[in-house]
Amino acid sequence: MKESSYKIPGGKLVKIKLLVSSERITDVKILGDFFLHPEEVLMEIEESLVGQARNESSITRAVNQVLTDSEATLIGCTAADIAKSILMAWDSSSSHD
Amino acid sequence: MEEFRFIDLEVHTAFENMAIDEAIMLAIKDHKAPPTLRLYRWNPSAVSIGTFQGMTDEVDVSFCESNNIDYIRRITGGGAVFHDYEGEITYSIIMPRDHNLAKADIIDSYKLLCGGIIKALDHLGIKGEFKPINDVNAGGKKVSGNAMTRRHQCVLQHGTVLLDLDVNLMFTILKVPQEKISDKMIADVKERVTSIRDILDREVQIEELQEALTVGFSKALDLDLKPGRLSDEEQKTATQLAKEKYSTQEWNLSR
Repeated sequence: MKESSYKIPGGKLVKIKLLVSSERITDVKILGDFFLHPEEVLMEIEESLVGQARNESSITRAVNQVLTDSEATLIGCTAADIAKSILMAWDSSSSHD
Repeated sequence: MEEFRFIDLEVHTAFENMAIDEAIMLAIKDHKAPPTLRLYRWNPSAVSIGTFQGMTDEVDVSFCESNNIDYIRRITGGGAVFHDYEGEITYSIIMPRDHNLAKADIIDSYKLLCGGIIKALDHLGIKGEFKPINDVNAGGKKVSGNAMTRRHQCVLQHGTVLLDLDVNLMFTILKVPQEKISDKMIADVKERVTSIRDILDREVQIEELQEALTVGFSKALDLDLKPGRLSDEEQKTATQLAKEKYSTQEWNLSR
């Protein structure tokens, strides 16, 4: 499990828990003290990221696509912040588990 | 004036408190309850986390269990809050999404509803200001945190107003993010968070804050507060939600 914790300047804290296999996301959890309306959309975002490669703009686009499709509002962090946090986790050394 | 049911200061467990908030939303959704303002305390003291937070990431669960502190996941986003029975009052305000006081824009909505807290502080002789996204500050320090959801065709905002603050205990219960840890950690928090007793430098009683919040919300939002209680149906729903959702590990440890 790879993890990151990113305090967005002027925003909230985003934490990522990431599993990667063959350079693709196999599981990602996005945690933190941000707001998202409707809240259920977070699971759709997490699911939409499975299979993504390590590409910040492509991850940003995928998150934004779900937000648009679901008419969801993310507050305290942006799709780009989530993508940045995911790359921070990706590039971290794995924790033991 | 907007007529609201007013459920004045009650004491419940964490599970009951969060269940009551959701039960009221469900009743309002079915047009079976009026817009409602609640004031409440938590007994035992409890820590609530935002709906997207990881419980074991944020909370020292074993410390809580050995010290009779409940822990619970909210349905609202935002951060972890320690609800000290002796040190805070929580409010919730719940209304249909098409209500006059339910703004479309989320930040506008926080700003409007946090006006109740600012008026309450004013009533106590404290100058408060709305600090986007979801805080109310006094003298540049946070004294109230708030969180909103828009489920069940309702707007629910609940929040805490700090009467007292035990930073050492708060840090024992909450796991502080790695990047915030420093030798000056506690001093830093005292620079950022305050309480009504700190500001006024006297033993302000719960009843005084209760009175201030009642006056504050009714003035700021022009509410006609009608004292009321939960309907039997709301009570039944709340009991069920407390048992089947809010007190379960499945919900509380879901992330």
